[in-house]
This record gives sequence, structure tokens and C-alpha cells, in this order.
Amino acid sequence: MITEAGFREVALRDSFDSFLGTNKESTARKFGVMGANVVAYK
Amino acid sequence: MAAVCPVGFDIHKLKDEVRRTYASVATDPSREFHFHRGPEYAARQLGYDFDELSRLPRLVTEPFAGVGNPFKMGRLSPGASVVDIGSGGGMDCLIAGSDVGPTGRVIGIDMTDEMLARARSGAAQMGMNHVRFEKADMETLPLEDKSVDVVISNGVINLAPDKPAVFAEIYRVLRPGGRLQFADIIIGRELSEDARNNIDLWAG
Repeated sequence: MITEAGFREVALRDSFDSFLGTNKESTARKFGVMGANVVAYK
Repeated sequence: MAAVCPVGFDIHKLKDEVRRTYASVATDPSREFHFHRGPEYAARQLGYDFDELSRLPRLVTEPFAGVGNPFKMGRLSPGASVVDIGSGGGMDCLIAGSDVGPTGRVIGIDMTDEMLARARSGAAQMGMNHVRFEKADMETLPLEDKSVDVVISNGVINLAPDKPAVFAEIYRVLRPGGRLQFADIIIGRELSEDARNNIDLWAG
């Protein structure tokens, strides 16, 4: 999706357990949902 | 994240739901939501510098609801032109404003009046005249082509009904060589049809 827009050097840098401790923690775990840092260049 | 809404999905209803959710966050950040808010969460789970956050007004840090930390990928250069897509209460914009200094500029884009009010008050309290906020959808940024050095965002693009349109718009406003550094949610498994059609999962 990001490269299709024209970006290059797209990279996933960090991930975060953003939903840990929320009432959606188990749903997030079930679907493998987490926060992530992404960088890309034009 | 799913690229676009399922066929037949009511995009206007989704946007209204998103706006309503984040207006509630801005009005009362301490309410129960299914996502974390605030500077303590940002420092504890996302690696923000708590001392740096403590120097910002609480009215901008309290409604922070990001899911990552764009600044972990590199701080911003003095004089840079920066746009924050979905700036919310303005926390990341004020951090960016501190990085780029008065010779740079930071523009926060958000569609929620209650968040924009907090962000503008926060920038005024900090005396950051080079940080401003605009009301707009992320698919139609009120910016010139190739006018921005860096685009940041935190936990917002996943809320867009048409994500390819958002990335195309970001590409349009970035100058050649410009950088997109953003945080958002990623999904490790294919979602069921029911989940893809559940507006509550899209809006939060």
C-alpha cells in the first residue's frame, strides 16, 4: 500500500504492545494487533 | 490494516463515529476507552521521554492516544517543515515544534474540533507560533505539492476508510527525498468478514 503510493525504502522499525492492559487486550492478542513504527522516503 | 472499507460500508457514518469517539477523548480523557491515553502510558509503553512530556501542558498530553513513537525513528532537524496527520491534542506537534525551532514550521491536521481546541491552546501556552493546526480530512490535505520535509502520524491512518488515498496525499505534499515516519497498528492475521464490517473496530 505504501510502496504503491510511490514511497521507497519502506521499513518497519519498532513494535509496541499498545493494547496491553486495555479492555481489548485479548482481542488484540487474538488478531495479532500491535503498534508499529514505519519509515518511508519519497 | 485493511486498505479500504468493505463494499457498502457507510464511510460518512464511520467518519462521524471516529469524530465522536475522539471528541469524547478530548472532552474527558479519563473516561473508559478501549485504548490507552496520556503521558504516563506514552512513557511506559511507547518509550517517550517522560521529562520531555512533563514540560508540555497537560491539556495536550492527557488526550494522547497514539500507538507508537514516531520520534524513536529520528528527531527532526532545526528549520524543517513537518506535518502531523491526525494531530489530536497536539502532543507530537509540540515535540516536533521543539525540535524544528522557530525557523521551522509544524502543521497539525485533525478533523475533531475538540482536539483542535486543545492543541491550539497548548501551542499558545508554549509560545510556539511556528506550530499551527488546521481542520481537514487526511485524504485532502490543505497543503501545496512538495512543500513538506517530514510527515509524522501516530495511530490515525488505520482510521481512514481509504488508506491508499491517504498515502497518495502524503506523497503529494512531501518534497522529493522527504520522509514519512509514522506509527500505527498492524494486524498479524487476516480479519474475518464480521470483524471487517464491525464499525466499532474501525472507529477506535
